Amino acid sequence: MAERALVQLTGTAGATAEPSRRQFPAPRSGWRRLDVPLTYQVLTFVAFAGVWQLYATQRGGLLMPTFTETMAALVDLLGRGEFWQAMYVSNQALFIGFAIAVSVGVPTGVMLGRFRTVERFADVYLNILLVTPMAAIIPLLIMSVGFGLASRVILVTVFAVVLVIVSCRAGVRQIDPSLIEMARAYGATEAQVWRRILIPAALPAIMTGIRLGLGRAVTGMVLVELLMVSVALGGLILEFRGMFQGALLYATIVAILAEALILINIARWIERRATPWAQTTSSPRSFQ
Amino acid sequence: MIELRGLSKTFVGRDGSTVEALRNVDLKVTDGEFLTILGPSGCGKTTLLKTVAGLVSWDSGDILIDGTPVTGPGPDRAMVFQSFALMPWATVVENIAFGLQLRGVRKAEREERARELVRTVGLDGFEKKRPGELSGGMQQRVGLARALAVDPQVLLMDEPFGAVDEQTRRLLQEELLSIWEKTKLTVVFITHSMEEAVLLGDRVALMSARPGEIAEIVPVPLERPRSSDVHALERSTAYVELTAYLWDRLRDMHEEHRRGVAAGGASGGAG
Repeated sequence: MAERALVQLTGTAGATAEPSRRQFPAPRSGWRRLDVPLTYQVLTFVAFAGVWQLYATQRGGLLMPTFTETMAALVDLLGRGEFWQAMYVSNQALFIGFAIAVSVGVPTGVMLGRFRTVERFADVYLNILLVTPMAAIIPLLIMSVGFGLASRVILVTVFAVVLVIVSCRAGVRQIDPSLIEMARAYGATEAQVWRRILIPAALPAIMTGIRLGLGRAVTGMVLVELLMVSVALGGLILEFRGMFQGALLYATIVAILAEALILINIARWIERRATPWAQTTSSPRSFQ
Repeated sequence: MIELRGLSKTFVGRDGSTVEALRNVDLKVTDGEFLTILGPSGCGKTTLLKTVAGLVSWDSGDILIDGTPVTGPGPDRAMVFQSFALMPWATVVENIAFGLQLRGVRKAEREERARELVRTVGLDGFEKKRPGELSGGMQQRVGLARALAVDPQVLLMDEPFGAVDEQTRRLLQEELLSIWEKTKLTVVFITHSMEEAVLLGDRVALMSARPGEIAEIVPVPLERPRSSDVHALERSTAYVELTAYLWDRLRDMHEEHRRGVAAGGASGGAG
């Protein structure tokens, strides 16, 4: 139900979307389409906030602020210069690291999916990256590149790049071989096969990989600051904890969560806009 | 004119096992002929078609088209696939225009040609739909239009109606007949249906399995044009007798194959 409404939303909101692409029965009115998933989200959020509030008032202590205290602290935090300074410093590492992860991960994943020999060589390392608890390499990183921006960028990259690679590899691997054969039958050169078939066919998986990688990048960003380089947002969290400012500590976490949610939703939106067919192929057929 | 001379092809598996897909196939298809190739599954008929398309290499023998040896895919041949092989990200028009796009035809020009073919295959109004929004029958109309768009001399059809339901299949057969009657293309059409082979073909090449050989070539003594009254045609004595004969032959082949398996003589693996 939520999926359906979202697909419709993107299908009608897009400037390039033609009305003909919508294939579900027309909704009764505009607000209903928006309202249904939103209602559920608001409901769960209210329930969550309610439970939090209740629990914190009953058994809360110094480090367990109530929901309302946290919200008040959030407003306070958003008005502080040190918060925005921390946001800036953290996001610097996030965006540089994530950009590197995408620009390295997408070509690597595509190559791994397309060429078996490349995969045979690289598979071991990819598996190591997949299973290693990334936090374990932080001390190593600090020792070799120091406490600066570089070590934070590298960690964000390492965190995000694995999912980008794996997803892109899967995307290329699951391309219908008959499409490649078709292109060849119609005289496509190797370059045309790449441009016209492989890249567009893998695009949905590539976009998904980028979105998942973004989530991991945020994790990496906070983790490195918490564990080793006490700067920026992670540093702020440690500082508030040290001063027993529970509400501010929680507010910082809420701010990070909010940023992650916004970023992932932007990524999802871009994904839908870039690959509208990936949503329509799995939907019910409206005519015979 | 398509000419196959002594065409042989053996697939070698990773474990060293071999499947003889084609053995010494001789075949001539004259210009404007509709040849259907009928055989049990795994008999190598798709391999045969793909060699003609230039998609699969062969071990020995020659394929000549108007006297020129086939060395790869060419603009004189267009293929229609059982699985449709449509690009899910592209619209109907873009899919139909794909062959022309690969050849560097300008966008306006190729899309105009595609729109003409949309009408030929009866997809008016669906120009901007994507394959995911179309039924199987409609998708294969797009596949057919894409093949026609490149203006080929030879249409290679690999069980094109094998993945659509019976009712749609019958409609598509009739439409293919009427399109072919207008264009007079040379068609090589793979099928596993006796009825389809007889209804469409000028001749039916009957293939046997493992090794894939042409067992017999049966002329179809039904008058053209056939698209106008398929109903009466399917009740004619010639049609009924021919399909019954083909089924007898195919059943013998299946029987032989089963005995071969029982005796441990089959080489195994799907062709």
